[in-house]
Amino acid sequence: MISFILRRLVALIPVLILVLVIVFSLVRLIPGDPAVTLLGPGATNQQIEALRQQMRLDEPVVMQFLNYVAGLFQGDFGTSLKSGQPVLDQILLRLPATLELSICATVVAILFGIPIGVLSATRPNSLFDHFTRVFSLVGVSMPAFLLALILQLIFATYLGWLPVSGRVSPYIVVPQVTGFAILDGLLAGDWGAAWDAVEHLILPTAVLAAFLAATLGRFVRNTMLEVMTEDYIRTARAKGLTRAQVTLGHGLRNSLLPAVTVVGLKFAEMLGGAILTETIFAWPGIGRFMFEAIKNRDYPVIQGTTLVFSLIFVLTSLFVDLLYGVLDPRVRRRMK
Amino acid sequence: MKLLRFLASAALMLPLLTGVAHSQANDPTKTLVIAVPADAAGLEPGINKAEPIGSEVILNVFDTLVAWTAPEFSKLEGRLAESWTVSDDGTTFDFKLRSGVKFHDGTDFDANAVKFSIERTKAANSYVQATFGLISDIAVVSPTEVKITLSKPYPAFLSILAQPQSAIVSPAAVEKLGDQFASHPVGTGPFKFVSHQDDTNIVLEANPDYFRGAPKISRIVYRIIPDASTRRLELENGGVDIVQQQGQLAAIAAQDLEALKSNPAISILEAPSQIIRQLEFNNSSTTSPVANLKVRQAIAHAIDYDGLLQGVFAGTAERVYGPLTSNSWAFNSKMKEMAPKYDPAEAKRLLAEAGVDPASLNFKLYSFQGSLWGAVATFVQANLADIGINATIEQTEFPAYRALQTAGQFDIALDGRQPWYNDPDAHITIGYLSSLADTAMTFRMPKDDPLDQLILKAQQTADQEARKQLYFQIQEEIMNRVPGAYLFSPKLIVFERANVKGLVVNSAPPLNEYWSVYKE
Repeated sequence: MISFILRRLVALIPVLILVLVIVFSLVRLIPGDPAVTLLGPGATNQQIEALRQQMRLDEPVVMQFLNYVAGLFQGDFGTSLKSGQPVLDQILLRLPATLELSICATVVAILFGIPIGVLSATRPNSLFDHFTRVFSLVGVSMPAFLLALILQLIFATYLGWLPVSGRVSPYIVVPQVTGFAILDGLLAGDWGAAWDAVEHLILPTAVLAAFLAATLGRFVRNTMLEVMTEDYIRTARAKGLTRAQVTLGHGLRNSLLPAVTVVGLKFAEMLGGAILTETIFAWPGIGRFMFEAIKNRDYPVIQGTTLVFSLIFVLTSLFVDLLYGVLDPRVRRRMK
Repeated sequence: MKLLRFLASAALMLPLLTGVAHSQANDPTKTLVIAVPADAAGLEPGINKAEPIGSEVILNVFDTLVAWTAPEFSKLEGRLAESWTVSDDGTTFDFKLRSGVKFHDGTDFDANAVKFSIERTKAANSYVQATFGLISDIAVVSPTEVKITLSKPYPAFLSILAQPQSAIVSPAAVEKLGDQFASHPVGTGPFKFVSHQDDTNIVLEANPDYFRGAPKISRIVYRIIPDASTRRLELENGGVDIVQQQGQLAAIAAQDLEALKSNPAISILEAPSQIIRQLEFNNSSTTSPVANLKVRQAIAHAIDYDGLLQGVFAGTAERVYGPLTSNSWAFNSKMKEMAPKYDPAEAKRLLAEAGVDPASLNFKLYSFQGSLWGAVATFVQANLADIGINATIEQTEFPAYRALQTAGQFDIALDGRQPWYNDPDAHITIGYLSSLADTAMTFRMPKDDPLDQLILKAQQTADQEARKQLYFQIQEEIMNRVPGAYLFSPKLIVFERANVKGLVVNSAPPLNEYWSVYKE
């Protein structure tokens, strides 16, 4: 088991190097210069050249790459061209916001997606099944910004139950300890602040979770329909197991493998790909950070965030593989 | 599992242990929440590059020696300077400073702080090299007197001193904080810096000892909300008090304006700006069809200026007649007659006179990105089609667009200029001086001794009236050359909740002060 993990971790290194080389050259291939973007239309060549020198963009690309990699080995991800702050610090600062959102969305999606999938699969072509199939089709295909706008209009504007955007109310001041808004509220002993953070979390969680829950529901339903026709299900029924035992113990467990993959990959995707949701809800996460960096041609930030995403992605898929072992004894044996 | 349960219950118990839940919530009627579309690039005056959001925060945390007087913003008033005199040759500026002013860290403001701050910016800021480079000496005459000497006359210098790059910083704080000063700015301004959470907010609190009197609100929270429709919803719900139209492109769309106008909970402040947007010709090119004056005149007559203002902007932009906006002190009112009128028949006649078949003209019409620029480009394209000219719109991402422009690889392009200081020089020199033609996004004027001489003379003439006459002459000279078709000047628009009072929108450049603002 441990050697399996080690082997996988070593295999990570070439992947990350490849990612780095590709990103490093790609960001420099897109037309446009960070100095030009930062200074805007009114800048003269003299101003731009001076800034380029200051940013050390006048050095040969190969030198820039070597300097960057040398820095990485010392834990130095470079400094943002826009703000002048260290990239790694800025990523770590935004990580809690993104984690908070993705974890909540994944949990909510699992709580809704799996039961919906199971219920539809056990009652195929029932009214409930038709209804959830329509729901999941809408959930999968509706763009995030549209769903976000509809939810904002209903729950914030008309009902006035929830805030439109942001992570905490501007009137609430709580010391930042963990970076997780809810936890910080609790740590400060401020129930109001914690509840305020929960209220802000609900709408963006719903938007992110809707897509995942819909995907998950469809997945579980389809695999489960297949599994339920297997011989061992008939055997289980013949043994006289209750309906619940057959469905959950044999049916669901065997349908979960592909579902785990979906959840794992989507979770990793959410960590980096929630750009739209983070932008609409003014959520200060990494997705938005990367998006802004691309707009500003902030090379070190683009490289740093891509590197962190790749790392998260590969680690999540490793975790998923390990989870396979937990769920499936055959896989567990192969790992050894 | 047991450990998990313990941790969970411990977390829940914690508030009870630490005692009564103390909500540090602030009084909403004393807190002003301002929505901005992007985070500030920095709060450090020394390296400020005229980025609007950081600049505005700087002007509320720091003071400058002089500032433009509201509401016209056409006359300078003293801030940290009580009074000043300028030598007849326009190179020496003597400032008498206010005494008894303290920085937020408790240290005294004096002439040394002025010398320290201006020299610091001069050394660190490449963006203002061209202007700060003119400073040859800063002499501390006494604690309340400072003398600044320039190497050559530059009348717009006082205007530069009103900019965020010239804000006076606390020398003690700079020494104490070092690199950290950029993230903990200390000035003398009406608001003290409290915190800056990246991509989330910037919080300022009132400086009760401010020398012009304590601000009426106790706290400012800048909320960074990148999405325009979210900003609108927040404003309608009262989640923010003020939404600025930063740069017009990331702004609340014109069609939303009507809806917001009919909402009694929201009021809209409009102010003319000094921003100019134009259809620009590649004036340096000798091979382009627009090298022919008659073709340029024809295109300028083809555009329905009033139709553009009504159709695309629904009243959110104003007519601009020539190289300066009508609210500039150097605006020559003769421009209103000289500006080409919308007259397609005249346009066709001019083309025929030039012997140019419109069907032979096939232009790429370059433009910035964004739906607003798209709408303007489509409008111009239709106007050109009316006189038989075919144009294809190329909306180009800014950095790539700039490269095309400065290399002169275009015939016609939509462009614009937002002056970063309040002086006609900001439009005229960069726009039309031939030696700068391909060093920035300019009109790419060809070498033209009479015009160049005039521009340099106006830039260095100390006497205001003589200077004004020079700019009058320059405007006429430029209009005769038809370097472009001046399309519109977007208004500065600020949306605010109806209970917000006392804000005066600053037109030059659009950086607002919140010292006078209060909530009912």
